[in-house]
Amino acid sequence: MNQLRSILILSLLLASLAVSCAGPEIDARLVFTPAQFAGARWEETLERARGTTVNYGMWAGDEARNRYFQTGVAETLKRKYDITLHITPLGDVVEIVNKLLNEKGAGKSTNGSVDMIWINGENFRTAKQAGVLWGPFADHLPNIRHFDEAARARDFGTPIENYEAPWQRAQFVLAYDTARVAEPPRSVEALRAFVKAHPGRFTYPAPPDFTGSVFIRHILFHFGGARAFQEGFDEELYRKASAASIEFLNDLEPFLWRQGETYPATLTELDRLFANGEVDFAMSYGPSFASERIARGEFPATTRTFVFDEGTIGNYSFLAVPFNASNVAGALVVINHLMSPEHALDQSRTLGGVFPLAPDHLTAEERRAAEALPRGPATLPADELAAHLLSEADARYLERLEKDWLEKILRR
Amino acid sequence: MNETRRTSLERSAKNIAAAVTIGLAIIPLALLLMWSFARHWYWPALLPREYSVRAWEYIASPPAGVITALTMSIFVALCVTALALAVALPAARALALHQFRGKRALLFMLLLPVLAPSLASAMGVHALFLRYGLTDSVLGVVLVHLIPTVPYSTLMLTGSFANFDPDWEAQARTLGASPVKVWRHVTLPAIAPGLAVAAAFAFLISWSQYLTTLFIGGGRIITLPLTLVAFQRSGDEAITAALSLVFLAPTLLVFVIVARFLRNVE
Repeated sequence: MNQLRSILILSLLLASLAVSCAGPEIDARLVFTPAQFAGARWEETLERARGTTVNYGMWAGDEARNRYFQTGVAETLKRKYDITLHITPLGDVVEIVNKLLNEKGAGKSTNGSVDMIWINGENFRTAKQAGVLWGPFADHLPNIRHFDEAARARDFGTPIENYEAPWQRAQFVLAYDTARVAEPPRSVEALRAFVKAHPGRFTYPAPPDFTGSVFIRHILFHFGGARAFQEGFDEELYRKASAASIEFLNDLEPFLWRQGETYPATLTELDRLFANGEVDFAMSYGPSFASERIARGEFPATTRTFVFDEGTIGNYSFLAVPFNASNVAGALVVINHLMSPEHALDQSRTLGGVFPLAPDHLTAEERRAAEALPRGPATLPADELAAHLLSEADARYLERLEKDWLEKILRR
Repeated sequence: MNETRRTSLERSAKNIAAAVTIGLAIIPLALLLMWSFARHWYWPALLPREYSVRAWEYIASPPAGVITALTMSIFVALCVTALALAVALPAARALALHQFRGKRALLFMLLLPVLAPSLASAMGVHALFLRYGLTDSVLGVVLVHLIPTVPYSTLMLTGSFANFDPDWEAQARTLGASPVKVWRHVTLPAIAPGLAVAAAFAFLISWSQYLTTLFIGGGRIITLPLTLVAFQRSGDEAITAALSLVFLAPTLLVFVIVARFLRNVE
């Protein structure tokens, strides 16, 4: 009897399964070509997007950010545009890029499951080259006017050509504890002197960790000249600058934490070493990270951040639309909203980070609001960061340097 | 005298072994539990300095999407278990009780999906499923989970059928039992332990799928591993630990149920 009952339950489950898998249909109102979009009025796109659902593939490894997007941002989108935001949580956007490449190969050019993605750097380069992005579109979004040319030209050396729209900014900073270190080393050479004078007090996350990777790029920039790396890949330049960088890093290694026999695998580990007083410096792509950690009681209140005199690397991250998105109209409306002063101010208040819009592309009122944004005790002023901003290198330098680091430093 | 000493020695050895096994199973769980409540826990502190319910609060909140993901995971795993057994039962019976040409080749082919790296097979299956319009749906996810589950279930049931004598069924039939009765009173009791283990395996394999779910589900079908992996990669230990416990709970439950069932059968 029991067996019969379980068979019955299972067949019910299977029946409901068959019912639940009716596929979605293409909605011609929501899908159109970039040329049609360029020719249409923005109000028309807004109207088409009304009442739809947008699937957003978003890196979802941060609790505060998830909360903010699932509640705050989702509610705003519903209220202002009658759009339902559905977030696909991602560990890494590369998973979606691989999926798109596969779909392109199989000819699935409509009814894609993701309408917009948060992307930059190597992933953008791969996606754009493979033609799995919908566009060009960014120059036809009303809110693109709030970004300056630097945000619209290149992404890790790859010409953007309006295939993605900028929305967030990041810039590398280092953190130190004023109670332990009186004057931080403000150049690559000063860092070398400091590390040698204080053995075991410095380390960096092992590339390909994002932040470890940008740290070693600063060394590369120091030896090759920051400006030289932004346009295309120059083998000769790379060979010279990387040889000097590898020599520099190897020279440093015996004076690192644990004599450089091991490196922290993640940024979180470096944070922990710093919080614990085991090393003297932390680092991050988020200029407000130290202030946030002070507020959470993780870093000492005497923590401050600094940048190198010759500048630190910063980048934008972007939003793009997959070539087979099923709700292009909705995705464009959401992207445009995330680029608005209203959203940028709200996000800066909620999550911190750098205010991404160019001050001279804002109204006087918006500018005042941006200037009045609370800045944590350890965060550098926006103009100081801007004055020290270096653009990212071409993604190919990044890939080569990470590989060389593994071979010539880690496995030496 | 000697005899009793040996048995008491044996008994204490058994007890120690049991204690070690239980300890090995419980210590990681206890650590996860502590991590999930820890606010600041840095080396070399033996215990967290502060505790907080932040991680659990987040997981229980609707924005985290954990509850919907949990429901989806259970639904998919149950469907996969049912279908995997439906395929595996007749297949295992044939493999165990009949000799036929190419049997070894067939066994090898059965194992192929398990031998291939999951990324490679996920990409390949994705291309295939795209052609048949099976992507971005629950049905597709269930089907793709069957690929690694069917081989295990079949092999496990083949073991059960190897000790099964079909003459018992014939005897029952001669005595006038209907096919349903034969199945319930003869076949099922004989293979029940293997069936329970095979079901548990199918459930757990489906439960832990990540890449296949992401590819075939296209991010529309969100199961527990999808929410877990995002946090695990970002290094938020408290939430990762809490999610891991949520992820582990049903698997432990499955083990307990199967273990009790096996004891009853004995």
